[in-house]
Amino acid sequence: MDSRDAATDGEIVRAVLAGDVERYAVLVERHRDRFARYAVRMLGSHDAAEDAVQDALVRAFDHLADCREPEKFAGWLFLILRNRCFAEHRRNEREARMPEEAAGSVAAPDRSDGPAERRERAGALQRAVLELTPEQREVLVLKHVEELRYEEIAQITGATVASLKMRMHRAYDRLRELMKEHV
Amino acid sequence: MRLFWLTAAIAVAAHLPTRSALAAQDVAARLEGRAPATVVRAVQTIAQDAAARGLPVEPLIQKTLEGSAKGVPPERVVAAVRLLAARLDEARTALQGAGIATPGSEALEGGAYALSAGLSADQVRDLGRVSRPLYDPALTLHIAATLTALGVPAPRGVQLLRHMIQSGRTPNDLLDLPGEVQASMARGASAAEAVEALDIEDGGLGHQGHQGEEGQARQHPHRP
Amino acid sequence: MKNAYHDLVKRLLDGELTLADLPPELRAEGEAALQLLGALDRTPVTLSPVVNSRVMAMVRERSRSRARRALRWLVTPREVRFRLRPWLVGPALAAAAVLVLLVARPQPPVPTPAGNIVFVRFMLHAPGAKSVAVAGTFNQWDQNAAPLIPAGTDGVWTTTLALPVGQHQYAFVVDGRRWVADPAAPGVDDGFGRRNSVVAVTRQGARTL
Repeated sequence: MDSRDAATDGEIVRAVLAGDVERYAVLVERHRDRFARYAVRMLGSHDAAEDAVQDALVRAFDHLADCREPEKFAGWLFLILRNRCFAEHRRNEREARMPEEAAGSVAAPDRSDGPAERRERAGALQRAVLELTPEQREVLVLKHVEELRYEEIAQITGATVASLKMRMHRAYDRLRELMKEHV
Repeated sequence: MRLFWLTAAIAVAAHLPTRSALAAQDVAARLEGRAPATVVRAVQTIAQDAAARGLPVEPLIQKTLEGSAKGVPPERVVAAVRLLAARLDEARTALQGAGIATPGSEALEGGAYALSAGLSADQVRDLGRVSRPLYDPALTLHIAATLTALGVPAPRGVQLLRHMIQSGRTPNDLLDLPGEVQASMARGASAAEAVEALDIEDGGLGHQGHQGEEGQARQHPHRP
Repeated sequence: MKNAYHDLVKRLLDGELTLADLPPELRAEGEAALQLLGALDRTPVTLSPVVNSRVMAMVRERSRSRARRALRWLVTPREVRFRLRPWLVGPALAAAAVLVLLVARPQPPVPTPAGNIVFVRFMLHAPGAKSVAVAGTFNQWDQNAAPLIPAGTDGVWTTTLALPVGQHQYAFVVDGRRWVADPAAPGVDDGFGRRNSVVAVTRQGARTL
């Protein structure tokens, strides 16, 4: 990689806006995987996440002039991706599509605790997570997968800490109900 | 991984719209992620008060951004912003005393800047009076402040500017003044001597005493 | 709800409490809840590099069509022409004239400098510095917004910025933490015990005050 990679996100955004379009590739490389795990857990499949991240990166380029603070490109990209994830859910609902199956077998549960059993449990849990509302799923993913604090999640989502906790607690109960047969 | 998210959390907040009203909304939106919450709250209050009194809020936001960028402790940032708001108020009174009914934001900032450089309210008023209608008071105030910072006694600097303006010199000529004073001083002159030399060039004003000259109107022969 | 966790168990899941904080009769429920949540897949995800090439292909296509539109704008004659001699026009009128100029111009797809913008070069002699930036009221005191680059090998750093007419406070930032006023100008106390410089920009040029 050449020395221009030392440039900050803001510098690259400005360079791209000034016409050096090829440098957008640096931003793509830097941020492609940053929110990938979030997208996978929100959408339920690797393929859907790839599509969403790809769309978000292209949309971010289309509207790059609207990025109010170029140094904060990552946060702005996340907003676009987040909207895309919620839009995907709304589209799935409209078309009465089932959320995609998470990777993992659908074997009947048994009482042993080997790696296969753990994988199966993880798959079942992911399917259950996809049954939550998108808002519940998001707070669960941000708190328990990305390990953010409620205050940080509040900053990202614009919700208050109190309403986030309420959502989270409902999600806990819902998951317990959905996972009943695996306990 | 969590570090990525921490920066993203702050970054996202910068792009989200806020819901508070008027000047406070502007302040919060501009400062979120750039200054600690205690500073933002304090500056919001100062800004709301300033806006209610018809003073510009932008310089207060800039001063907050500056202090936070420089790593200044929160109490000191808030104190500087409060002081700036007071100076903007004082500058407005002075410029209104000069006959400028509604001084613009830049003129007020220039006045606040001049006050912080050590000019008195009366000197700000004098410069406001002499800077119209073709000369931007913001510019003359900044030049006067710079001359003071170079060591030119404030009344002397104000007088020099008044003479230059009355002689019909262009605003760019005024802009050259600090550089010329500096160049003279580099050659060994004192600030006061440098100014006298400039004044002499300007129409034979000769030696002037340094006492009690503010606000006095003088007739001077103009250069042909 | 039939399967509702006890409130304390929820707070355990939130990380507010530990198992030891729970009363003994709730510990089993707490452990089961932790185990359930523990099954969440946290493996980091790496997307395929083909995402990069697909994105850039679309980016290139979009910028090609954008460039075609921009070219058309550049060869179209401007609607409004002004010849300003600012020292004969009062500052308020000059501002209004510039405003009209901006409004009359068609909105370009790529940003272009407006009529009251002047290019100003900032230079600092800082041999041994690893990075130099300029921060001021023109870029919200953001030290990442306007980096300087070394010009030659004698320790001179430089950048050129497009600034609007007016007075702007600024300082240089060396190595990300040392704030330095322009050594060529007296400047003013910044209220924090340091000095700022001022660049006065007019349509004829700029001076550091």
